[in-house]
Amino acid sequence: MNALQLVSTLLKIALVLGVVLGIGGALTWNDRRMSSMMQDRIGPNRAVFVLPPWLARTLFAAPAFLVAGALAAWAYLSPAPASVAASVRATERILITLELSVLVAWIGLAALTARATRSSPANGFERWLASTVRDPRNVFYAGLAAHVLLIPARYAIAGTPLSASLKPILFTAGPVLLAVVVAASALYAASLVPATGFRLRMAGLMHTAADGLKMIFKEDFVPKNGDRLLHSIAPMFGLFPPLVVLAVVPFGDVLCLAGGKVAGVVPSAGICTDPASSVTMQVLDLDIGILFIFAMSGAGVVGAALAGWASDNKFSLLGGLRAASQMVSYEVTLGLTLVGAFVVYNTLRLDDMVRWQGENAWGIFVQPVAFFLFFAAATAETKRIPFDLPEGESEIVGYFTEYSGMKFGMFFFAEYLEIVTSSALLVTLFLGGWQLPFLHRDGLTIAFGDTVLLHYGMTHLSVTLLQVATFFGKVVLVCLVQAVIRWTLPRFRYDQLMRLGWRTLLPLSIANIVVTAIAVLVVQSSPGAANVLELLGDLTQGVVAAAMIAAVVALVLWALKPVTRAQTVLSSSAELAQAQGGTRATPMQA
Amino acid sequence: MEPIDQEVDETTLELPSDPMQLLMGPSHPAMHGTVRIVLDLSGETVVRADVQIGYLHRGFEKMCERGTWSQCFPYVDRCNYASPMLNNVGFALAVEKLCGITVPERAQYYRVVMGELARMADHLVCTAAMCMELGAFTPFLWFTRAREMIFDILEEETGARITHSFARVGGMAQPPTDHFKPAIRAALPAVLASMEEGLSLVERNRIFIDRTADVAAISGQDAVSMGWTGPCLRSAGVPYDVRKAHPYLVYDRFDFDVPVGTRGDNYDRFMIRMEEIRQSARIIGQALDQMPDEGPVRIDDRRYVLPDKDEVYATIESTIQHFKIVMEGIPVPAGEAYGFTEAANGQLGFYLVSDGTGTPWRVRIRPPCFPIVSTLGRLITHRMIPDIIPTFGSLNMIGGECDH
Repeated sequence: MNALQLVSTLLKIALVLGVVLGIGGALTWNDRRMSSMMQDRIGPNRAVFVLPPWLARTLFAAPAFLVAGALAAWAYLSPAPASVAASVRATERILITLELSVLVAWIGLAALTARATRSSPANGFERWLASTVRDPRNVFYAGLAAHVLLIPARYAIAGTPLSASLKPILFTAGPVLLAVVVAASALYAASLVPATGFRLRMAGLMHTAADGLKMIFKEDFVPKNGDRLLHSIAPMFGLFPPLVVLAVVPFGDVLCLAGGKVAGVVPSAGICTDPASSVTMQVLDLDIGILFIFAMSGAGVVGAALAGWASDNKFSLLGGLRAASQMVSYEVTLGLTLVGAFVVYNTLRLDDMVRWQGENAWGIFVQPVAFFLFFAAATAETKRIPFDLPEGESEIVGYFTEYSGMKFGMFFFAEYLEIVTSSALLVTLFLGGWQLPFLHRDGLTIAFGDTVLLHYGMTHLSVTLLQVATFFGKVVLVCLVQAVIRWTLPRFRYDQLMRLGWRTLLPLSIANIVVTAIAVLVVQSSPGAANVLELLGDLTQGVVAAAMIAAVVALVLWALKPVTRAQTVLSSSAELAQAQGGTRATPMQA
Repeated sequence: MEPIDQEVDETTLELPSDPMQLLMGPSHPAMHGTVRIVLDLSGETVVRADVQIGYLHRGFEKMCERGTWSQCFPYVDRCNYASPMLNNVGFALAVEKLCGITVPERAQYYRVVMGELARMADHLVCTAAMCMELGAFTPFLWFTRAREMIFDILEEETGARITHSFARVGGMAQPPTDHFKPAIRAALPAVLASMEEGLSLVERNRIFIDRTADVAAISGQDAVSMGWTGPCLRSAGVPYDVRKAHPYLVYDRFDFDVPVGTRGDNYDRFMIRMEEIRQSARIIGQALDQMPDEGPVRIDDRRYVLPDKDEVYATIESTIQHFKIVMEGIPVPAGEAYGFTEAANGQLGFYLVSDGTGTPWRVRIRPPCFPIVSTLGRLITHRMIPDIIPTFGSLNMIGGECDH
């Protein structure tokens, strides 16, 4: 192992752990918030730190000025390539900096307009926003229109002398513009900090951190007749598997470092194989990747079963029994479901599976039945509603009934980590992993069959960064879907769960294997099928791309929709309070 | 949906096993802190269930014998903390039966509207809790939001969200507020919309139906012989509703249906409550149309009704009257009466004995959920532990009245 590998491995571990713990924390926050609604108590979103104004201003301004300074230094110190107009790197630098500047200004203006229209405007500029722009959606439409107009304009001047003379200027001006926009936004934000102090809320995400601290300092209770050793080991068995499973999940394509390839365009086919000069976006590169995952996630049951046994509590025992039988049953389906996928992908390596999906079509289109079966089985493995029988808090309270403090916290957090793990697996196996539609190693190529509609070259580094961001973005989305399922569906009964697992999911997964094998044989033996399939695969990429754009637009419009809060019945006490000038804002005195 | 290991005969096993005894409750999330079930388990199957009530016993009947008749109202409030207005009205009607008085028409409509609002709130709480204990959290939020709108109206009218103590012998404590009718007319569609939204999440949900349908079913004959009433009895197919069978107040003037089930299982009990909410909304709509806007809500009889405060401060007669009612109680004639109404859970009866003084000699409550809970053990025997949860939820045990 050379120095590059050592450093990159440590960095990758830090990245994966950071992202996973972050998502896990956000999921904890989500559950805390929902359960606070249920119990009619104040939720985490009310947790707040009051920062003194000088500190808040510094926190806003200092990082932004550091970024802006770095951008400015980059703009002046980096040498321009010999031919700016011909260099992909230069074009990309111009494009990214300009786009980011527009994006920061765009989001900032929309947020400011929303703020100015919802509460009282702070200054003349905000009054103008509130009176003239009126709706944050107008800002969004204007930004969209600007892009729609600018892209043809860019293609119109491409290759003309105007473009050749503009590019060297923009090569320096782009980063400077971005620096100015970032600094200006930060200054504006700092100027809005009220003199009474800034209330740092972050939607209550810090509450999760406080929860963790609280757990550590709570009493560690072990039942009198419980098995002390097993009782203490069980949470470790619970937390360990979901963490190590993530080690083999690839979150990006191989990054080639040899010969300045990072800043240039690499060919779309072929990957660099020299371990000395390439970095795999995967903590542990295993040939048997998927088998390692099965082995490890199967070990997760040991923690629950041990906890149920060692607690000396009948409720815990029932929970441990349920956990053991449920996870053993669903492990079978989980494994058999993927055999069909192995037949299609023709590999056990996770990164090769993702590459196959990028070249052909995403797994959800190739193996739709397997996708749903795997989703169901994976949800069962995470022990969440509708499969949360080992916990079943209204029935048997759960296998961790006798746990307190950080031991309980470990079980609790392991559950959220399992969500992240199963989402990551789902994304890798069926949702294209790090792949974006039409994005290849050499850039964006929109092609159906042999007809190339658009090709846009991108440097190796930006393609890789985009892939990593895509992977984690997909994981967050699937986690969100799992959270929605958890809060909507009722839970199964124990025998219904077993029936579903053994009589429905298992036969379906076996049928899936047979059908897949026959289909693969048919395709391999008919000569013309490959071309048709390739076209179909490209079509699915187009469908996914269109769906993604539509989803983003819908999401933004939904988020910017003005909120109207109509109260059906306004009580007379509320009316009275309003007439008296509202309720008192000062805290109550004891 | 039989439990899978039901056919296993424990005695013929190579390793015969003793049933495991499990104490479920009263500190158990689904037992509401008010009941304990001692279970003998074979695996997860309940072999024997012993339902033990009494954790909320406060001697309500004995307490009533110590104060005046009017002082019983706060006690009956606390008997059913999910729909106290119905208990208020029921007790007031029983005492009025003993006294032989009829309240003015406006008060009768007022009682009907407030009572039906309370019935809707009660059904919403019951179904919401049932969904939540099954793990479905979103319906719980929708139902609770609907109940919150009803509570806003009740709070506006009575000043209290839950324990109103608003009925009086001879009428209601206060006349309706000015925005009584507009507020209800505005809120009812929102309440129903919120309810339907929550219902749509479970009504055709495969998991929900599997968990509730054919679970803890009871035949109409068994239900009658166990003394069941209310939604639980109607879910077994017996169309008995006190409002139809023995109309009281002005219920005979409304056009409403009595929903009945066919199987008497948890799903039927759930759906019956949903349908009754819709029927209650129908009754409220008609009652609001028919209810006079002017007129007294208390009878004009100084023996039973407290005089107005400004009269108490101004005239000696009213002061004396006030003193006598507060200190001695209202003069309920000696005798006995059984008044029964349709509360949210079923027939709520009050058997009252008066010896002619201002204090009840005996107050006996016939809570609807006492006979129903007495059947719980039979319903859950030979079923699995998870079945206890929706069964207990759909029976809607209210500790306060069940434990007297």
